[in-house]
Amino acid sequence: MNIIEIENLSFYYQADKPVLKDINLTIKKGEWLTILGHNGSGKSTLAKLLIGLLRAKSGTIRIDNEELNQNTVQSIRRKIGIVFQNPDNQFVGVTVRDDIAFGLENLSIPREEMIERIETYAQKVSMSEFLNKEPHALSGGQKQRVAIAGILAMHTDIIIFDESTSMLDPKGRRMILDYMKTLNDEGVTIITITHDMKEAVLSDRILVLKNGEVLKMDTAANVLKDKITLEKSNLELLLPLKVINRLEEKNIKNEELRSYLWQLSLTG
Amino acid sequence: MAIKFNRVDFKYQGFDNKGYLALSNINVSINAEGEFITLIGETGSGKTTLVQHMNALLTPTSGNVTIFGLKIDQENIKKKKFRLNPIRQKVGLVFQFPEYQLFEETVLKDIMFGPKNYGVDEATARERAIKMIKVVGLDESYLDRSPFNLSGGEKKRVSIAGILAMEPDILILDEPTSGLDPLGRDALLRVFNDIHQKLNKTIIVITHDMNTVYEYAKRVLVMRDSYLVYDGDPHTLFSKKNIENWNLDIPDIINLLHHLEKDFNITFPKQPQNVDELLTMIEEVAK
Amino acid sequence: MKNIVIGRFIPGNSFLYKMDPRTKIIALIILMISAFVLRGFMNMFIALGLILLLLLLGRINIIRVIRGLKPLMFLLLFTFTFQILFNETGPVLIVFEQEASWTLHYSWLNILAVVGVVFFWFFTRRFVRFRLLYLVATLVGSIALLINLQLGYVFNTGDLTIHQNAVETGFFIMMRLIIIVTLSTILTLTTKPTDLNLGLESVLKPLKYIRINTEEMAMIIAIALRYIPTLLDEANKIMLAQASRGVDFSEGKMKDKVMQIVSLLVPMFIISFKRSDELANAMEARCFVPGNPRTRLHQLAWTYADTITIIISLMALASVITLRVVGINV
Repeated sequence: MNIIEIENLSFYYQADKPVLKDINLTIKKGEWLTILGHNGSGKSTLAKLLIGLLRAKSGTIRIDNEELNQNTVQSIRRKIGIVFQNPDNQFVGVTVRDDIAFGLENLSIPREEMIERIETYAQKVSMSEFLNKEPHALSGGQKQRVAIAGILAMHTDIIIFDESTSMLDPKGRRMILDYMKTLNDEGVTIITITHDMKEAVLSDRILVLKNGEVLKMDTAANVLKDKITLEKSNLELLLPLKVINRLEEKNIKNEELRSYLWQLSLTG
Repeated sequence: MAIKFNRVDFKYQGFDNKGYLALSNINVSINAEGEFITLIGETGSGKTTLVQHMNALLTPTSGNVTIFGLKIDQENIKKKKFRLNPIRQKVGLVFQFPEYQLFEETVLKDIMFGPKNYGVDEATARERAIKMIKVVGLDESYLDRSPFNLSGGEKKRVSIAGILAMEPDILILDEPTSGLDPLGRDALLRVFNDIHQKLNKTIIVITHDMNTVYEYAKRVLVMRDSYLVYDGDPHTLFSKKNIENWNLDIPDIINLLHHLEKDFNITFPKQPQNVDELLTMIEEVAK
Repeated sequence: MKNIVIGRFIPGNSFLYKMDPRTKIIALIILMISAFVLRGFMNMFIALGLILLLLLLGRINIIRVIRGLKPLMFLLLFTFTFQILFNETGPVLIVFEQEASWTLHYSWLNILAVVGVVFFWFFTRRFVRFRLLYLVATLVGSIALLINLQLGYVFNTGDLTIHQNAVETGFFIMMRLIIIVTLSTILTLTTKPTDLNLGLESVLKPLKYIRINTEEMAMIIAIALRYIPTLLDEANKIMLAQASRGVDFSEGKMKDKVMQIVSLLVPMFIISFKRSDELANAMEARCFVPGNPRTRLHQLAWTYADTITIIISLMALASVITLRVVGINV
């Protein structure tokens, strides 16, 4: 079942400088999709369109069989949440508890249920002991985990990660990637926006964007293989793939090594 | 010895008067020429605090730092007429976000701001701006543009040019490549390498990217919980056993090497320095 | 910055901390009105004694409150001095008229000279060791100026006489200010900013009848409270970044100073705008719609203790009014 259907989506600020051109995309329920592209390829704009922070110039977005427009945007935002890049600029509450509560307060959830959900989802992202902490006492990774809990608590079934790991240190980044994986295993539809190949290979499918256009849309394995696309889109090859290419160039046939390297690149 | 830390502690005063130790017993020396150092460690380990001591933005709570002959300790900074400002011309520090420093109407004026603060005349400052904008890989047409209408990578380059125009001997960069895509990151790293080699300046880069550390740095400093736990070359660092306890990533090259050694029982004659060397070595083995 | 106590929450544990913020705000207002109604030396001292008792019972560090009063010292001494100089009602207490040199001359230029001295004091006081002594010296110097200078058109002269009403009024103004500031300090010391905000929102709710949206105001204050530490931190980083480019904030001519401030303010504005834009997006994405009904995680619970506190405050007000009406102004 398709949970997101995008048809002929276009967006621009100035008509002569399109940011997104004629995007078509379907995402299945429970899928993990990566939107891959260089800085300025339009990937964050796509995320903002999906969550109704920007309005498309043409084309339609349907989420869970509901077309996104002025009237439906509020009900659609209950189904789709987003974790932004800068951990500081999305922390609304004065404490972790207040921040998780923020979305629930907006949904007019009764107080008793709110308290219950805060406990549950703080536990889910291992932030239970930090509930009374203020944001300046938390690391970037911890703040992003709070953001995830805040979205999960709203019982959202799609989460967009808009370069959510790019400002974190390796430990924080690994942790957030682990949560993405766990959530996806539990059936949450995940969309990650990144320029990091290592993150992209963890997902089911990859959409490669370049200058606002879809360059390729395929399974992670097929995109990885596609040297030409990756080169065109200014993205780097993973190291094991570079080795494979080198071996091919030199006409060295070592099938065992080749398939081993291939497996290695698929795990990131 | 350009910069020398001698048993430096630094404590941030908290609101609750308890404070928080950001540097503990730091002893390290840095040369004014020919070094390419990367500084790594978790968020909150004290990296930024350490580099802010190198140009005297912060001064030690105890111990002392000597920067180009000027000894900075609690006793000296209390003296009247003890001026720290000249130090900052010699040790240039580029902050993580270019937004912290860009403020002029044009890129040209912004790059000229630093040198002019140190009494460089208008014409020389302009000359330096024209030179430095090229050093950071942009062309002269950028000089008349507003620094606020540039892309993230371009802003970063302009902010670096603004520091370079002061002609510091040592250039320190706080997480210069975070948030850039691979192409932008590599281009910027090449700029640093150029500055290092052609202008013969010491470069210190704070980073979370271990590939940068492995492929560019001659020397690595590792901070952990306010202590300096490693000071040496990157190859020795990544062959250490306890590196995972420091919450550091493994560089791609080493990672691949370990996998091949473990699963294919291949032993490599030596650690490859860069991707090309690795490729050649694997090529040899695969034959 | 460290000495500013007004408006800062210090964690602690006493009945004052447990009280509902609404109670504290309402009680503060009632007691403030009482302080204005109250007259008489004896009554004032009794009121001050009661407040001291409250501080003791509430386990609040009295030294901390006194430190909070310090910035007021200037205001207190000056109102007192001005009362003594200008208030000429009531019986005369002391007259310095034996010698002509005690005559005060009031002219605009004289007053300007005094204002100049005060300004000089204001900007130089941080370089002086004994600040209180310096303040007293400034005040004495100001009076001396009025006695000795006769600049321009002197529109009024008078002997330096001290009237009873001047001393009384000056003293009462001082006492009232001390009482009001101490009470407000108790409120802010013992109430978390978020609770204070919640309490204010609740107390100000009737304003919605004149179409002021208190909920939105409360949200704005809450966000401000959340981001003030972040912005201060950012301002500090910008200062350091500009210092790295040779800006020396401790030195520089007037022209340089302007540039220094511009180099701070421009990045500050740009970063704040970007931040608020991203924050607005994050809030909207989490279903925030200004003006829509919301439930609240933090709800205030009114207890017996709160009712009793309000009753006691009202009794204080009633007794103060009674004293005034009956005429016991000792």
